[in-house]
Amino acid sequence: MHFKIFALLVLIARFGLVQEDKPTVKNPFAGDAKAVESGRLQFRMACAGCHGLRATGGRSGPDLTRGTFAAGNTEADLYRVISDGVPGTEMPAFTSRLQDDERWRLASYINSLSPHDNVPIPGDPDSGERLFWEKGGCGQCHRIGTRGSSLGPNLSRIGRQRSLDYLRESIVSPDAEVTSGYATVTVVTRDGKKITGVERGFDNFSAQLMDLSNRYYSFQKDNVASIQREYRSLMPSNYVRLFSARELDDLLAFLAGLGGGER
Amino acid sequence: MGLVFAQVNSSDWRTYGHNSLGWRYSELAQIDTRNVSRLSTAWIYQTGLPGGFETTPLVFDGLMFIAGPSNNSWALDALTGRPIWHSHTTPPNKLNLCCGQVNRGFATRGDKLFRVNIEGTLVALDAKSGTTLWQTPIADYKQGYSATAAPLVVKNLVVTGIAGAEFGTRGFIDAYDADTGKRIWRFNTVPGEGERGSDTWSGDSWKRGGASTWITGTYDPELNLIFWGTGNPGPDMDGDVRRGDNLYSCSVVALDADTGELKWYYQFTPHDVHDWDAISDPVLADLTIENRKVKALMQANRNGFFYTLDRTNGKVLKAKAYTEVSWTEGIGADGRPILTKGQEPTEEGKLACPGLGGGHNWQATAYSPRTGLYYFPTSENCQLFYKTKQEFTEGEWYQASNVEGPPNSHGTGAILAVDPTTAATKWRFDMVSTPTAGILATAGGLVFTGDRQGYLIAFDDRTGKVLWKFQTGGAIVSPPISYALEGKQYIEVAAGGSILTFTLK
Repeated sequence: MHFKIFALLVLIARFGLVQEDKPTVKNPFAGDAKAVESGRLQFRMACAGCHGLRATGGRSGPDLTRGTFAAGNTEADLYRVISDGVPGTEMPAFTSRLQDDERWRLASYINSLSPHDNVPIPGDPDSGERLFWEKGGCGQCHRIGTRGSSLGPNLSRIGRQRSLDYLRESIVSPDAEVTSGYATVTVVTRDGKKITGVERGFDNFSAQLMDLSNRYYSFQKDNVASIQREYRSLMPSNYVRLFSARELDDLLAFLAGLGGGER
Repeated sequence: MGLVFAQVNSSDWRTYGHNSLGWRYSELAQIDTRNVSRLSTAWIYQTGLPGGFETTPLVFDGLMFIAGPSNNSWALDALTGRPIWHSHTTPPNKLNLCCGQVNRGFATRGDKLFRVNIEGTLVALDAKSGTTLWQTPIADYKQGYSATAAPLVVKNLVVTGIAGAEFGTRGFIDAYDADTGKRIWRFNTVPGEGERGSDTWSGDSWKRGGASTWITGTYDPELNLIFWGTGNPGPDMDGDVRRGDNLYSCSVVALDADTGELKWYYQFTPHDVHDWDAISDPVLADLTIENRKVKALMQANRNGFFYTLDRTNGKVLKAKAYTEVSWTEGIGADGRPILTKGQEPTEEGKLACPGLGGGHNWQATAYSPRTGLYYFPTSENCQLFYKTKQEFTEGEWYQASNVEGPPNSHGTGAILAVDPTTAATKWRFDMVSTPTAGILATAGGLVFTGDRQGYLIAFDDRTGKVLWKFQTGGAIVSPPISYALEGKQYIEVAAGGSILTFTLK
C-alpha cells in the first residue's frame, strides 16, 4: 500500500516535470495587439466555418466569446485544443494545418474576445429543467444525454455550443435560423395525403423524413405529387406565450448549463 | 463543324476535353435515348482513397489512365477494371493549398503520359509501366504555388497552368518540350514592371497578383492559338491594395502556341473582388450568329455571365446572365461590365450574387455539335463577402478574407443547356444543392452529369428530361467520359474514391 502511494507520488512528480519541460506553455505573443489582429484574420479563414465569423458559435462549433471553455481557460489551454483537437467532438487537430505561431495568435485572439455572456444568468436551472421536461414537453423532440427524442437537434452540449442570445432566439422565434439538416419537408402523395416531417435526407430524386410521431418515410420524387423543403422549424412558435418571462429565464439557465456532463 | 481538327478517334479519350477544342462530345452512339434505361454497371475499381477525384481519365490501347489526388496514378484494364500499374510519390509535408490535393488528369503524346504533381512539378510517365521518364519543377510550393490542372499537349509541347492565387503568388502558363521536359516558353499572367498592362496594378502589388491558371485551356490549330482562362487577382477580397484593372486576372488570353506571345486578351471582370476566376473551359466552335459565320469561344464565367467571343480578336459577341447577378447592370458595347455601386466586400459583410463559388465554377462543360447547345452546371448561391486588412507573408494564405451564407439559405443549382449563338437558355434541370460534377455530351443524344449526393444522371440532350440515373454511393466531383472497346460503348465516372463504368447489358 505504501509502495503504491509512493509510486503514485513519483508518477505525479514525473508528470509535473514533463509538463514543465514542455517548450510552449506560455504564449510568445502574450499582450501583443498585432497578434490579436492577425489571429482574428486567421480565425476568419480557419475557424469561422464552424464557430461563426464572430466566434459566437456557428454550424457546429461552440460560442467562443463566453470566456469559459470546456478544456480550460488559459491561452495555453486554447493553444493545446487548437493543436490537438478535442476527441469525441467535431473539433479537429490543427497541428498539421497551421504553424505553431499561427496557433498561438489564434489563442491570443480568442482570449481577447470580451466575454459578453458572463453576467450571471438570472434564472433557476432546476426549475428550468422541470419546465423543459414537463410544461414545455421539449423532450418529445429533443434529447439531453440518454433522455428525450431525436427528432430535433440534440441539446446535450447546447450550453457550450450556442450563446445565450442564440438560445433565447431559438425558443422565441424557432424559424429565425433553422439548424442545418433540420428543415421541414412536406410531401403530398398522388392520392392527396400530406405528410410533414423533419428532413432526414434530400437529394435530386428522393426525400427522407421523420414525422412528429417519429415515423420514418422515404419517397421517390417521381412517385408523389409534390415534395417541398422549407427553412422553417416544426418546433411550436408559442413558447413565448406558454412561458412567463421568469420561466423563460429558468429554461435558459438550464440550457446554458448543458455541457455534456452529468447534471 | 466538319473541320479536321475537331475529329478524334471516337473509341479513345486522349485529351482533357476529348478534342483540343474542349467539346467533351463523344461521337459514340451505341448508348442512346431509347436504350439508356438499360445501362448497367460494367465494373467498379476502388482506389482506396477517400475521394476527391476531379480527374478526366484518358483511355487508349485498352487501358484507362487515372491521375488521382495526392500524386497517385493508375492504369486500369479498360475492359475489366483490373489494376495494371500504380505510381505514387509522397507530397511534401507543408503544402499551401486552397482546395485539397486534387488532380484533373493526364495529357498524352506517343507512349508518354504527362501530369502535374501537387507540389508543382510536371512529370512524364511511361504509359505501359508508370515509370517516371522525366520531371521538371514548374514552381516553388513554399511560395504558395501548387499544381492541379491536366496539361494540354500542343504539337511537341506540354502546356500547363499553375494554382495558388490565394497565397499571393504570380500566375503563369508554361510550355515544355514533351521529349525532355525543358521549358520552351512562359507567359506571365501578371505583367512585370515596364511590360504592357503593368500600369493596371498599383505600387508593387503585381508581385502578389495571383491570376492563376488552374484549368486546362484549348487549342485551335488553324489559328495556332492556345486559349487559357486566368484566375482571381490577389488578395481576393481586398481590392484597395491593388488598385486598377489588374490585368490579366479574370481574363481569357490567346497565346501563340509556338512562342507563348500574347495575341489578345479579354478581361471578364476588371478589378475582381469576389474571387470570380475566369478559368472555366474556353470552348471553341465555329458558329453562325446573325447570319455571320464566326470562329467563336464560349465560356460560362464564374461572374454569372455566359459569353460568346470572337476567338480571332477577343471581341464580345454575346453576353447574358445565366444566374442571379447583383454586381453589374450588364456588359457594355465595349465589352466592359457596367458596375452596380456598393457591391464590394466590407468589414461588416456585403451580400453579392453570385457567391464566392460563382455561377459556374471549374466543372468541365460540354458542347454538342448535334444540338448546337452548350451544357454546364450553375449555382444559385448569394453570399456575404467580408473584407479584412491583411499583411502579406510569403507562402501564407492571402485572401483577405472570407464569405458566409445568409441564415436559412443554402446554395442550389442547375444543369443548363445554352444556345451559344443567342446566349439563351434552352432547358434547365434544377438541383437541390450546388453542382459538383462536369458534363459529357454524346452522339446518342445524351448528356451525362453527376451530383453531390452521388447520382450519375443521363438527360435527353434536347429537352433535359432525365432518362436514367444510378446512385454511385459517393459524391461525383469529376466529369463523366465515354469510350468503346470490343464493340461496346462505356460511360465512366469517378465517384467518391471509386472508378465506375457502365455499358448496355
